[in-house]
Amino acid sequence: MAGWLFVISLVVALVAAYRPFGDYLYRAITSTRNLRGEKLIYRLVGVDANAEQTWGVYARSVLAFSAVSILFLYLFLRVQNKLWLALGVPQMNTHVSWNTAVSFVTNTNWQAYAGESALGHLVQMAGLAVQNFVSAGVGIAVAVAFIRGFASKGLGNFWVDLTRITLRVLLPICVVATLVFMVAGAVQNLSGGTDVTTLTGATQHITGGPVASQEAIKELGTNGGGFYNVNSAHPFENPTTWTNWLQIFLILLIPFSLPRVFGRMVGQNRQGYAIVAVMAVLAIASVALTIGFELHGGGTVPQAVGSAMEGKEVRFGIPDSATFAAATTLTSTGAVNSFHDSYTPFGGMMPIVNMMLGEVAPGGVGSGLYGLLILATITVFVAGLMVGRTPEYLGKKIGAREMKLASLYFLVTPALVLIGAAAAFATGNNSTALNTGPHGLSEVLYAFTSAANNNGSAFGGITVNTPWWDTALGLAMLLGRFLPLVLVLALAGSLARQKPNPESEGTLPTHQPLFVGMVVGVTVVLVALTFLPALALGPIAEGLS
Amino acid sequence: MTLLAEKPNPTAKSNPSAVRGGLLDPHQLWRSLPDAVRKLDPRTLWRNPVMFIVEVGAVFTTVLSITDPSTLSWTITVWLWLTVVFANLAEAVAEGRGKAQAATLRAAKQDTMARLRDGGLIPAAELKQGDIVVAEAGDIIPGDGDVIDGIASVDESAITGESAPVIRESGGDRSAVTGGTRVLSDRIVIRITQKPGESFVDRMIALVEGANRQKTPNEIALNILLAALTIIFLLSVVTLQPLAIFSKAWQAAAPDTQAINAHGVTGIVLVSLIVCLIPTTIGALLSAIGIAGMDRLVQRNVLAMSGRAVEAAGDVNTLLLDKTGTITLGNRQAAEFVPVNGVSERELADAAQLSSLADETPEGRSIVVLAKNEFGLREREPGLMSDATFVPFTAQTRMSGVDIGGRQIRKGAAAAVLKWARSGSDEVAEIVDRISASGGTPLVVAENDRVLGVIHLKDVVKEGMRARFDEMRRMGIRTVMITGDNPRTAKAIADEAGVDDFLAEATPEDKLAYIRKEQEGGRLVAMTGDGTNDAPALAQADVGVAMNTGTSAAKEAGNMVDLDSDPTKLIEIVEIGKQLLITRGALTTFSITNDIAKYFAIIPAMFAGVYPGLDTLNVMRLHSPGSAILSAVIFNALVIVALIPLALRGVRYTPAGASALLRRNLWIYGLGGVIAPFLGIKLIDLLVQFIPGI
Amino acid sequence: MRLPSWLSQHLAALRALLVLTVLLGLAYPLAFVALGRLPGLSGKADGSLVANGSTLIGQAFTDADGNPVTRYFQSRPSAAGDGYDPTSTSASNLGPNSVVDTADSPSLLTQVCARSLAVGKLEGVDGRRPFCTTDGVGAVLAVFHRDGFTGPVTRVVSVNQTGTPFIATYDGVTVGPARNGEDYQALGGVITPVRGDAPVDPVVPADAVTASASGLDPDISPAYAALQVPRIARERGLSEDAVRALVKENTDDRALGFLGEPGVNVLTLNIALDRQK
Repeated sequence: MAGWLFVISLVVALVAAYRPFGDYLYRAITSTRNLRGEKLIYRLVGVDANAEQTWGVYARSVLAFSAVSILFLYLFLRVQNKLWLALGVPQMNTHVSWNTAVSFVTNTNWQAYAGESALGHLVQMAGLAVQNFVSAGVGIAVAVAFIRGFASKGLGNFWVDLTRITLRVLLPICVVATLVFMVAGAVQNLSGGTDVTTLTGATQHITGGPVASQEAIKELGTNGGGFYNVNSAHPFENPTTWTNWLQIFLILLIPFSLPRVFGRMVGQNRQGYAIVAVMAVLAIASVALTIGFELHGGGTVPQAVGSAMEGKEVRFGIPDSATFAAATTLTSTGAVNSFHDSYTPFGGMMPIVNMMLGEVAPGGVGSGLYGLLILATITVFVAGLMVGRTPEYLGKKIGAREMKLASLYFLVTPALVLIGAAAAFATGNNSTALNTGPHGLSEVLYAFTSAANNNGSAFGGITVNTPWWDTALGLAMLLGRFLPLVLVLALAGSLARQKPNPESEGTLPTHQPLFVGMVVGVTVVLVALTFLPALALGPIAEGLS
Repeated sequence: MTLLAEKPNPTAKSNPSAVRGGLLDPHQLWRSLPDAVRKLDPRTLWRNPVMFIVEVGAVFTTVLSITDPSTLSWTITVWLWLTVVFANLAEAVAEGRGKAQAATLRAAKQDTMARLRDGGLIPAAELKQGDIVVAEAGDIIPGDGDVIDGIASVDESAITGESAPVIRESGGDRSAVTGGTRVLSDRIVIRITQKPGESFVDRMIALVEGANRQKTPNEIALNILLAALTIIFLLSVVTLQPLAIFSKAWQAAAPDTQAINAHGVTGIVLVSLIVCLIPTTIGALLSAIGIAGMDRLVQRNVLAMSGRAVEAAGDVNTLLLDKTGTITLGNRQAAEFVPVNGVSERELADAAQLSSLADETPEGRSIVVLAKNEFGLREREPGLMSDATFVPFTAQTRMSGVDIGGRQIRKGAAAAVLKWARSGSDEVAEIVDRISASGGTPLVVAENDRVLGVIHLKDVVKEGMRARFDEMRRMGIRTVMITGDNPRTAKAIADEAGVDDFLAEATPEDKLAYIRKEQEGGRLVAMTGDGTNDAPALAQADVGVAMNTGTSAAKEAGNMVDLDSDPTKLIEIVEIGKQLLITRGALTTFSITNDIAKYFAIIPAMFAGVYPGLDTLNVMRLHSPGSAILSAVIFNALVIVALIPLALRGVRYTPAGASALLRRNLWIYGLGGVIAPFLGIKLIDLLVQFIPGI
Repeated sequence: MRLPSWLSQHLAALRALLVLTVLLGLAYPLAFVALGRLPGLSGKADGSLVANGSTLIGQAFTDADGNPVTRYFQSRPSAAGDGYDPTSTSASNLGPNSVVDTADSPSLLTQVCARSLAVGKLEGVDGRRPFCTTDGVGAVLAVFHRDGFTGPVTRVVSVNQTGTPFIATYDGVTVGPARNGEDYQALGGVITPVRGDAPVDPVVPADAVTASASGLDPDISPAYAALQVPRIARERGLSEDAVRALVKENTDDRALGFLGEPGVNVLTLNIALDRQK
């Protein structure tokens, strides 16, 4: 009962935030005024804030920024043991550094390392946490550029979008959230840790670090890279029952509010409501199923134990842990407060399925919106034909070029997941999975699903800091982020070029429940069913055994 | 208007809102079989990526069946080949219907000799642009061109199917002649306008045969989606293999089955899964749908110069319709006699009738008819009235009439008649104004110096037009009436007919400007036209339908030609365009939603041997893994055949708003697509389980 | 000299990254580190430290050999390093059907069974659980059929037991003990957990037999605390009511009545117990 109240309270809070926060986002993004601090940044960076970019320039700016970021972070990680606040950690090897650099720049935050033993505080703060901000900023910026393609006003300027989203949206919320987490008990210091003597006389090394400030952006930016290995299960990251609520709220806040920005920018709030309705239907169904499977699911061990408490914290309990698991995988977060590997078979399948949906309900910051808009575009195409007109979405015709880009978009991630998982088995690299049989298969499948969808959570049993895994998952993350992103911008460019067609009675309405239902159907049938054969050999086989 | 347009049009008279094509003749399937087999040639088939994959799969399973024969593998192989053949059959049947028409056309074209003006005879095929030829009664006109001298009646039935002859004469809008038609009387001199091999008939043949059929923009977009789905399912099945090998190896207790062994899922089953998942239904029927769409137009005697135009017709936002002939009956008719100065209505009618006896214009005739209908005034033969002198209408006097004895009766434009009678009153002026304001034309009748009254001539809007335009509005199409009338008259008729807008005192330039303005706003415009001066507007419009009676300039400029020269046909063309897209969308939806049931048939069949628990997914309780897979494959093939008639006929289209259309089609083809295969596969399974070895 | 556009673009990117790094990577976190020095916040910012640890971080109340120190409430099992090691936080990550022990690691089922048995013994209650043998390992058989999954049973092995199997026969076939290092799944046995006759609701609570997510879980469930109360009272010579009162004092209820689950902070409870003397 408390578990359902927990979910309902989250829904209520997100519904309440939708309009005011969405409007705030809208104003921050579309404002014509540059703040003084922003002007200073534009001057330091050396960009003209008023210059509109074509999709090509926008895409090159994103890629240049990301490339520089990966290189910078890679070098940072390689030399961090020699820098200030290194805490005596060893040098990070090349493949883990590559994997980590790509992981944080792509908003994946897959962790092939354990934070408390592999990283110093400086690289956590100035390396990883910076990417937590800017990779989220990149995602939102691309989504905004995509919306501009529909709204037909040119695609805007990447540097302005990035700066504004970071300074006006992410940073202020993080300032508040950090303070709240600190009050709750999240640590925020530069200490290398304190040795204490436990009651029974043993020595325990209590770790320190600038955790609270990183925790805030980790959730808000749907990044998910924990300061510590166990992420949001760690009492220093997520100390209380209510910080757990707050973390989930922060994860979902921006992704669920961006449809409002979409609605406002295209001048029809109801279009935003339709998109958010698709997200909500899928998300609520997923949360309900995850909780249901966790509370009543099978598996020999949960039956022996009497409940699926393995890998869960007492203070969170099962429903709230399951809600976190669903939220983190429905978005591209990947933070965890419980360990999915030990979930019941079907309970553990849900995070995989959530990611396989393409993380669109509501998805990562920005990426969820553009992912869902792509699916909506494909739905419009099929539905538009059924009303007897060349399909158009928000007045823009969906022709061959648009379909080519949209189709390529929705090909990329499944291709990466399926090829990756198949390659792991074909090369025998699945042997690093801790568990055997279908569960071991799920671990491999989860790893590639998570990487290609830029989620970052894991069926943690698998050991992935081998050269093969680091390289393969790094590639999956890199391609899974930037191919779709470039395709989205190209599509935005193609849409922006079109003159909008006026709406008439004959135009497919894209704001009605019927359309919402159809997008849900397309998402489930086209995207999720692609993975059904693979799922049948993993969690489904395990769950039905 | 020519003979053709005045004849009642059979297609226009039939239920206007349901667009239907011809039904499928079962014999046609049989006749098209050889073509279907010929189309197995991979060089042709690769253009259809979905079916190409099926063919590659069929070749693969054939090899497997030869090297490792079993009942299951051979049965599946046969059905995979049938799947491809069925797809080809759909296309062949669609093409076959056009071929019959093409044969007739070709017969007309063959062996024609052209007589040059200088007397030489050359084969028609060698005519060049600019050649001058002569055609006399009985001759076949050797090529497309314009009459530059003479007048003749021409039998155009070879093209239009209409047996009534038409008049072709030099100059004006009736100068175009078409190669392959026959001169019935007189002699005409023709300047050839076609390039060799590009005559109207050549193009018609190419069109109806579906030869060099270009994929339309929307078809290309849909093909991309289908290709993407094919790739994704291909990937999802191929990448399954390492996972299957791992699972089989781990579950050492699992025995080898027909579906899975130590080498993973068997080739037969893997191919079956791919074929069942990729969108074969729509892939197989896509080109047939396109050909059939063109064919439906041809059946209505409309020739579209490109499939692109047909698609554009479905998208039209604005319809420009000529008032005369399309919205109203051809001409104005007398509707009322309004007497003044205490004159009786009958007296006015009598005078009006007298003055119109010699007036052979439709307006004049309608006055006589009205006088007869309302007052029983018998028509008097002008020739029998020896003392009558008829005064014809001239542009100077702007009136006509009759002098009988001392009576001088005149009728005509108000100003002219009032001036002639040197009288007038506020009463007359008021009536004239009232009639003008209502969109009618007032004709004042006067006898000597006395004004008798006013005849009210009005445009008669065709029956049912208002309902038709309401329907258009529901479909999101704006109708615009084009007329040469003054704005006041135009407005009155526009209101009566229920069009959304009108363009009064329209010149060809105005039309062009109006189209451009609409297109600026992103709207697609359709119009009909026949005169040379319509050509720029026809060319500018997204859908320009030229009347076959029109000039070759008009026919060249438009992208469709209506052989019946029926301006209301535009409405049907729009519906056919929409129906074409709806059919594609509906079958795509059906094809995709089919996958759900196929998953439930094949996945347990494949893997229950390794993980017995997966048999829970076998919700249809299919007999065995072999029968499940075979049933899915058979269903997949048969559904193509079952849907050929639908592809050819098109999904039923009733004009309605987009929401209503979507709801209806989604329920039928979306939900139907989910349910039908569950039933179909189960039924087939009940039969195939009796095949030994399955 | 004008730089090529790709180069100037990357230089702009680098400048942007550096500017943002200073702002977001240094100014922002360090400002909060500074804020954390404020009285009232500093305790929490430093990790809620008390004399014997952190109130947020669980610890093991075991002796050097890993045996429970009986005068203390016991924490949950931990998979962090050797147990409650903050430098090596981890969950077990073993799956819900991890039931077959291997040479180097026991299955999750066996771990659960062993813990349940141990807790039962420590608290003097019934430690039996479904799917567990009486000697505290997973009750799991490898059943060999003639035709894989079907046909008559030809051989049965109790895969987690090298000694006497927990049941003598299965489907009329004598159950044999396992040999070390043998993978019966790979030999074609069908892994079959056997529920046994343990009560539906085991006496030992779930959190007592499962490892937490962080490995540092500071809490146990009120049920597990209640189970330990008699032992603590006995060991410390306190009344059970007094111990219960302390447990209640150290229980964090659900925030707002519906967030999370109630938990008993073991460290603060044990410190409070020590203070009683």
